[in-house]
Amino acid sequence: MLRVDLFMLLLLLWAPLAKAESPGRLAKRIDQAIQNDVFDEETELAPRTDDYTFVRRAWLDVVGDIPSPEEVTSFVLDPAEDKRETLVARLLADPHFGQNWARYWRDVVFFRAVDERAEIAAGTMETDLTEWLNEGRPWSEIATEFITAHGDVRENGGTAIMMAQDGMTEETTAEVSRIFLGIQIQCAQCHDHPYDRWKREQFHELAAFFPRIAVRPVRDLTSRSFEVIGTDRFGRKPPKNERFPTAEHKMPDLEDPQAPGTQMEPKFFLTSAKVPWGTSDSARRLQLAQWLTENEWFATALVNRMWAELVGEGFYPSVDDIGPDRTTVAPTAVKLLSRKFKESGYDLKWLMKTICQTEAYQRESRPRRETDGTPFVANVPQRLRSDQLYNALLSAFNAPEENPPRGRRPQRPQAAPRGRFAEAFAYDPSINREEAVSSIPQVLALMNSMDVNLLFRGKKGSVLPELIREIKQDEELTTELFLRCLGRVPTSEELEIVKALRQEGMKREVAFEDLAWSLVNSAEFQHRR
Amino acid sequence: MNTTSLQHLTNVATRQGRVIRRRDFLRNIAAASLAAGSWSWTDAIAASADQMRSQGMACILLWMQGGPSQFETFSPKPNHDNGGETKAIGTSVSGIQIAENLPYCARVMDDLAIVRSMTSKEGNHQRATYLLHHGYLPMGGVNFPSLGSNVAHQIGNAANQLPNFVRIGGRLANSGGGGFLGVDYDPLVLRSANRPPDNTKPLSDSGRYHRRLRLLDSLENTFAVSGGSEIVADHRKLVESASDMIMSPGMDAFDLEKEPASLRESYGQGEFAAGCMMARRLVEQGVTFVEVVSNGWDTHLDGFNRTRELTGQIDQPMAALIGDLKQRGMLDKTLVVWLGEFGRTPKINPRAGRDHFPRAFNAVLAGGGVRGGQVIGATNDAGTKVTERPVLITDFFRSIYHTLNIDPDEENISRVGRPIKLVDGGEVITELFG
Repeated sequence: MLRVDLFMLLLLLWAPLAKAESPGRLAKRIDQAIQNDVFDEETELAPRTDDYTFVRRAWLDVVGDIPSPEEVTSFVLDPAEDKRETLVARLLADPHFGQNWARYWRDVVFFRAVDERAEIAAGTMETDLTEWLNEGRPWSEIATEFITAHGDVRENGGTAIMMAQDGMTEETTAEVSRIFLGIQIQCAQCHDHPYDRWKREQFHELAAFFPRIAVRPVRDLTSRSFEVIGTDRFGRKPPKNERFPTAEHKMPDLEDPQAPGTQMEPKFFLTSAKVPWGTSDSARRLQLAQWLTENEWFATALVNRMWAELVGEGFYPSVDDIGPDRTTVAPTAVKLLSRKFKESGYDLKWLMKTICQTEAYQRESRPRRETDGTPFVANVPQRLRSDQLYNALLSAFNAPEENPPRGRRPQRPQAAPRGRFAEAFAYDPSINREEAVSSIPQVLALMNSMDVNLLFRGKKGSVLPELIREIKQDEELTTELFLRCLGRVPTSEELEIVKALRQEGMKREVAFEDLAWSLVNSAEFQHRR
Repeated sequence: MNTTSLQHLTNVATRQGRVIRRRDFLRNIAAASLAAGSWSWTDAIAASADQMRSQGMACILLWMQGGPSQFETFSPKPNHDNGGETKAIGTSVSGIQIAENLPYCARVMDDLAIVRSMTSKEGNHQRATYLLHHGYLPMGGVNFPSLGSNVAHQIGNAANQLPNFVRIGGRLANSGGGGFLGVDYDPLVLRSANRPPDNTKPLSDSGRYHRRLRLLDSLENTFAVSGGSEIVADHRKLVESASDMIMSPGMDAFDLEKEPASLRESYGQGEFAAGCMMARRLVEQGVTFVEVVSNGWDTHLDGFNRTRELTGQIDQPMAALIGDLKQRGMLDKTLVVWLGEFGRTPKINPRAGRDHFPRAFNAVLAGGGVRGGQVIGATNDAGTKVTERPVLITDFFRSIYHTLNIDPDEENISRVGRPIKLVDGGEVITELFG
C-alpha cells in the first residue's frame, strides 16, 4: 500500500517534467501543423525578421519594455545560432516578465469592472500576480487562486475578479468563464444561447458555484477597503435592497421575477459534473476550480490568447469567445499546442518559449490580413499597451519612474504619471485588436503633454541633453537616438533627413530635441513590429 | 460690420458647396445675436458664420447606459402593480403623461415624440449596446461603423476642423467607432464635459511645432514600407486632424466658461448637464454628431431610488438643451435622441429593482423636423407586450437617418468589398413627421 502511494507520488512529481516537450522541437511541430492546416503551395510567407526587429519585439512581448542601445548592439553582433532562444529565456527569468503580464491581466479584469471603486484592488492584483508569474506557478494554480479567493482585496490579489464584479453571483460567473475558458456563457443568462449549445439552465448551474460570495466594505481607523466573503451561515433573512449571499443560487423566473425562482444545482456545464446542494462555499469553489482547470478549454483559452498576443492573430477570431461552437483557422495546431501546454503542467514560461521559437512568431510583420486573407503568413504589428508605451518612453531617455505605484497600498491610480498616462492610452486587451485604434487624445498627449515633453528638455532625469553634449558627431548622435527609440539604426534616407534638418541652421540641441520628439511621436515607436 | 467680412463669410459658405439663402442667413444672425445676450455683434456674426457652414443636419444622442426603466421615465403605469411607486404627471400636451421623475421634460413635451413600443431581443448589455449603436448585431468579419460615424461620414463637413463625431462621457464598450470607414470617423472621446480636451497647446512656438510635424512625417516612411502601411496612414491622418483641431478657433466650443452664467444655470448641475451644453456648443460649431453618455441605469437593485437619482441628473439638462436649440433656431436642424440599450422588466424583483427587458421599452426623439407632442406605439396595461405599432431597431435607425436626410439604403463598401447598407431592412416611422 505504502509502496503504491510512493509510486503514485513519484509519478505525480515526475509527470509534468517528463512530459514537457522541448520548446524548440514543439515549435517545429506547430509550424508544421499550421503549414498543413492553413497554407498551400502558393502561400507567400513573410521572411524571418531581422535581429533588430526581433530583439525589440521579444523585449516588448516578454518584459514589456524596449531594449537599451547596448542590448540591441550586442544582440545583433552576437554570432551564436541560438541567440534568439537564449534571449527569450533570459527575459523570462527577469522579474519584469511577471510584472508585464500581471499588468496585462489586471487590464483584462478591470476593464470589465462594474464599478470604478473596484480599482482599489488593482494594485494588489498586480503585485501578487507578478510574484506568482515570476515564481513560475502553473496557470491552473493561478486560476484556482482567483476562483477560490476571499479576504481583504488589498491583501489578496486573487479577489480581483470578484471585486471587479462587485461580488455579484451571475457577473462573477460570467467573467470566470470568459477569462479562464474563453467561453461567453453569460449570453445564456436570460435565454438559451442564440448561436451556441448552452441552455439557460447551464449558465445558472455554473452560477450555483458562487451564490455564497459577496463584497463587503471594511473600515478601520485609518483606511477603507473591501473584502470578499464566502459564507456558509445564513441565519437572518437578507435585508431588502442589499445584495446578500444566499445558500443556493436561484434561476429567476422570466415571467415572474418576484417569484423565488428555481434552485439550481452547482453543475459544470462542460462536463456536467456536479456537487450537491448544501456544499460549503470553499468546497464548491475549489471543486469548480479543479474541474475547470482540467478542462481542455482552459488550456485552449490561454494558448489562444497568448498566441494572439505574440503572433498578432489568434487561432480563433476572438480571445474570449471560443468554445465547441466556434471554428478555428488551425485546428491541428491549436489542439497540439493546448495539449502540450496541459502536459507541461500549465507552464506559462514554457509556453512563451515555445511560441517565440516558432517561425510564425519570428516572421516579419505585415498589415493585419483581410478576412479572406491567409492567417499566420506574417506577424502583425501590435499597438503598445499603455504600460509598455510608458516604459518605452522612460527607457528611451533613461528616465526613472516618478511616483511609481506602491503595490499593496495603492493611491488612486490616476495620481501617478503612469496612471494619468493610462487614462489616455489603456485599452481592453480582450477586444479585437483592430478595434483598439489610436485616437486624437493620444496623439495630443504624446505631442503636447508636459509629462512627455519634459523628457526632451532634459528634465525628469532624461539623458537627452547629456547625449547631445557628449556625442559630438551628428551621425553618431542620430544613430544613438534611433537605437534608443526604435531599436534600430537609421536608414541612409533618414540620415539625410537629419542632415538636411541640421542645415536649416537652428542650434544643435534644438535640432536633436526635435528629432527625439519626432521619433517618440512616430507610429513606429508606439508599435511593436 | 463691413462688407469685406461678409464677403469672407460667403466665400467660406460657398466653398463648402452649399447654397445659402439670404433669408436663412439673416435669420441665423438674428437668432444667434438674440441668444448670445452679452455677445458683441461681431461675435454673433462669427457664430452665425460657423452655423452657416453646417447648413446640413446634426444629431445629438443622449445615451442612457445600462438600460433605463421605461416605467420610471416616459411610460409610467400608475394603474398597474408593475408600475410600482412611480406616479404619472401631466405634460404641456394634454392627454400625454410621463413619469413624475421628469418634470422639466414634461414642460417641453410639445417638442418630444415618445416611442413606447421599441422592441428587440437583445437583453445582454454588450450585444444590445452594440445593436443600439450600429443598427446591426456584432458579426464576425465585419467591423461596422457606429451610427455617429455613419452620420459623420454621410453629412459631416469634411472642412470642419473639429472632429465630426464627439462622444462625451468616456469610453463605452461596444458603442463603436469608424469601423471599416476608418479613423477619420472615429469619435473624439471626452471623459467629461467639465474637462476640455487635454494637451491642446503645443509646447513649442508655432514655427518649431510645424517643423517638428514635417520631420515626424518624413520619419514615418520606414515603418510604412515595412509592414506598417495602414498604421502609418492612420497615424498621419490622426496627427493632421489633431493639429487642425487644436489650431482651430472652434476649440472654444469645448470651453463652457464661455456660456453666460444664466444659461449655464438653466442646464442645471452635473456631468450630464455640462455634456448637453457642450453638445449644443459643438453642433453650433459645425460638429455633426455628438453623443452624451449618462451611466448607471442598470438598476437591478433599489431601482426606484436609483432611477430617481438618475432622472434627476438628466431631466433638466435634456429639457434645457431642447429649449436652447429651439431658441437659437437650431432645433429644426438638430435631431435629439434619448435612448438606452433596452428597457427593464415590468415585474419588480425582490430587491426592489427591475432586470433587463428588451421586449418593450421606450425612446424619445425631438427636433430635426420630428413632430413633437405625440406618443407613438403602446404596450398593454402590464407593460409586458407591445400592443400597438411595434418599432424594431431597424425601424428606429431608418427613421434617424431619414430625419437627417440620409438615405438609409446607402451602401458602404466594407474592407473586403462587401456592400453594407446603413440599415438593413426596417421601415421609417412615418408618424414622426405627420
